[in-house]
Amino acid sequence: MNGQEPERDVSRRGFLKRGARTAGALAAVGAGLDIFEQLAVAANEKNANPFPYDTGRLSKTDPKLVAYEETARFKCPRGEAHRIACGADDQLLIAAGNYISILSRDGALQSEIALGGPAQCVAVAKDGTIYAGARNQVEVFDAKGQRKASWEVIEKRPWITGLAVAEKDVFAADSGNRVVWRYDRDGKVAGRIGAKDKERNIPGFVVPSPYLDVALHRDGLIRVNNPGSHLVEAYTFDGDRELAWGRYSAAIDGFCGCCNPIALDVLPDGRIVTCEKGVPRVKVYANDGAFECVVAGAESFPENVKANEGGDPLRGALDATVNSRGRVCILDPVSGTVRVMARKAEAKGS
Amino acid sequence: MDTNPQPNPPKPPVSRRQFMRDGARATMLVGVGGLVGLLAGRHASNGFVWQIDPAKCVRCGLCATSCVLEQSAVKCVHTHAICGYCRLCTAYFVPEPNALSTAAENQLCPTGAIKRSFIEDPYYEYTIDEKLCIGCAKCVEGCNRFGNGSLYLQVRHDRCLNCNECSIAKVCAGDAFRRVPVDHPYMLKSTTSH
Repeated sequence: MNGQEPERDVSRRGFLKRGARTAGALAAVGAGLDIFEQLAVAANEKNANPFPYDTGRLSKTDPKLVAYEETARFKCPRGEAHRIACGADDQLLIAAGNYISILSRDGALQSEIALGGPAQCVAVAKDGTIYAGARNQVEVFDAKGQRKASWEVIEKRPWITGLAVAEKDVFAADSGNRVVWRYDRDGKVAGRIGAKDKERNIPGFVVPSPYLDVALHRDGLIRVNNPGSHLVEAYTFDGDRELAWGRYSAAIDGFCGCCNPIALDVLPDGRIVTCEKGVPRVKVYANDGAFECVVAGAESFPENVKANEGGDPLRGALDATVNSRGRVCILDPVSGTVRVMARKAEAKGS
Repeated sequence: MDTNPQPNPPKPPVSRRQFMRDGARATMLVGVGGLVGLLAGRHASNGFVWQIDPAKCVRCGLCATSCVLEQSAVKCVHTHAICGYCRLCTAYFVPEPNALSTAAENQLCPTGAIKRSFIEDPYYEYTIDEKLCIGCAKCVEGCNRFGNGSLYLQVRHDRCLNCNECSIAKVCAGDAFRRVPVDHPYMLKSTTSH
């Protein structure tokens, strides 16, 4: 032992001084950050909407009600998509831009048909004949995409927004004239369905925005949405109104907003799939109108919800079609995607 | 004794009456000049005025609170040709109304500025009472979210002071404020532009 104490690098006083300085500096930085955060919060509060339009509650879906899940998703080949339909081998036909795009069931682009103007809707017959709705006409193509005919709507203000094909008939939903045209397969008008008619007890379609749609049901009736009345209606091919169901409600079992549903299709077992706008959601109803489940709630369409907060209100509407396996293919024009939805139990097996 | 007559008191350079007259004239002239200058400034400052591009407006509500005027120069306008005349108008009714009646609790507008009148079943017409409208854009949001977007905001030039630096434009969340030529002062929607 040499008896000398080891030299200290820092004296007790120095240590305390440095510690105090460090603590002071940390406190100053903390106070600075706190002030910065408070300023940021104040700025946010200052720019917050003082008059919010709150649909937050409507945009949340009870997970217990969601019976479907996504099994596939793919991009639309073209922008400005409006409607989707399902063809043979579960091919998907999309009316988008000035084209009908034909995709395989897994989303691979197979072919395209060019139209003279914007494609509004599409349907395909069992024999492969493709019907494309342009604004004021129905264009007919064979399975190879060769133009066969063009059927002009002669009534003023036509706006064809939905198509359905039966064995001998083609039904064209005309939002402009608020009727469904019944054509034979040669393009001759065979009926005008859904026009207001007191004697036949038909209240008429209320179509504030161009989203009249039509689908063929296995019960031999057509289903048509009546968006301004918040109804789904069933008509015979001769135009008799057989049943109607639906009600306005912001709750999940009703149709929200001014004018919903905006699109519909029929599952193989006869249940009805509906699409809504404003609060974008896709749901399933029993044939008598009892609410069954949600295919996809507003949470599934964040881009669509955001698009509702600005921009053109007529460009974000969902559409859906059902394939032979009962899967619901949802077209979201805002994200430019198609989502294939299967029931949760089936999705696990796929 | 001073026998000289008392001299007349000196005449003031301007009589009181004359002074009052001249003063009134000058005040009037200044007022008229100011008014002309104000109008010229409001309506032809560099040949441009402020306007809102409806395609960019995000309905943030700040038009109602950021204008230098006590009641904003921004008002809601309605292009009826685009309107669906809905029975359940989402610009008129709150998102979950108790009933489709004109009761105050069912109305979305905080000042009751939208008037609803029956046309024929099931159609209703909606008009804006501009004196009551504060430009909050709640109705615009409701109309755009669910409907056709026939309601939108515009700067009303009978009210706008055409400030060089618009206090609403400074905070506009959608960057929707634009300078437009004074001979085309409005950006109105139409069925063709829609």
